[in-house]
Amino acid sequence: MKTITGESFEVRTEEGRNVVFFKGALRLSGSEDYAPILEMLKGTLSEPVATVLVDLRDLDFLNSSGITMLSRFVIEARDRTGIDLHFVVSEAIPWHLRSLKNLQRLMPALKIRLN
Amino acid sequence: MMTNQTLGRWGRPPARQCEYLVVSFSPFSAPLRQRWRNNGVSADFLGDYVKAFLPAEINHAEIQHAVAFVANEFLENAMKYHECSVDIPIGLRLELTSEEIALTVSNSIGPAQAERYRDFVANMLSQDTGDLILARMEQGADGSDESASGLGLLTMMSDYGVELGWRFEAQPDYPEMMTVTTSAVLNLTNPEGAA
Repeated sequence: MKTITGESFEVRTEEGRNVVFFKGALRLSGSEDYAPILEMLKGTLSEPVATVLVDLRDLDFLNSSGITMLSRFVIEARDRTGIDLHFVVSEAIPWHLRSLKNLQRLMPALKIRLN
Repeated sequence: MMTNQTLGRWGRPPARQCEYLVVSFSPFSAPLRQRWRNNGVSADFLGDYVKAFLPAEINHAEIQHAVAFVANEFLENAMKYHECSVDIPIGLRLELTSEEIALTVSNSIGPAQAERYRDFVANMLSQDTGDLILARMEQGADGSDESASGLGLLTMMSDYGVELGWRFEAQPDYPEMMTVTTSAVLNLTNPEGAA
């Protein structure tokens, strides 16, 4: 298991599973600070896989630099063939569905699971 | 020299019952890294604060989140672009009436930067918000922060139904400086957030 933690957040992935879990509030200051998280996300695309899951259910807050980071990941996934990308979100967290609809416009094949 | 100007939605009808809260940060008191952490604390506080004043029929969680998102983006931008060489504070004001919530942030910048920012805002207001968000995201794929800038403001308009306005003013005490004040208005009578 790989984990990136900060004062208010945790991002983790499990070896052999193409899932990345987000938790807390992410307010890093720009692309440099988000680079390790973007790398972790891109790591799920490195092998031929059927499905990649990004689990945001416990992510309460994401600033615009974080939205930019997610969009970079989605573009990367879109531009590779055969990636079946799913975002798992919560109805109880107001920004999830709203902000993800823009990511879905970037990659129409992106699936959003409400959980 | 740039003259005083306003763009977007600026100025509201005087409200008979208006309550407000002002937070002010001196550029000299702490380095940016240390200050960054406080953005989230202040933004969350304002989100919690407005919740206590909202009528029962409004979706509290939506408005709380919208206020926290706008306040956080405003503070992040102000901290990033504020001219720290002069003793002019960054100000964040929250104003409440029964119809709307207005958040304004003010910070100081040099005249050349003010002109660039004004042109950026004018260009942003002249285009479709949804299309611009997509264009920004595609440009942001090259990894630069500059190409990603503006996404916060666009997100406020697109995802939270916020009306934005800007005022550029000369600084009487520092002729070489401009003050830029950004205003975000969330309508409570027909809030996007309560939809």
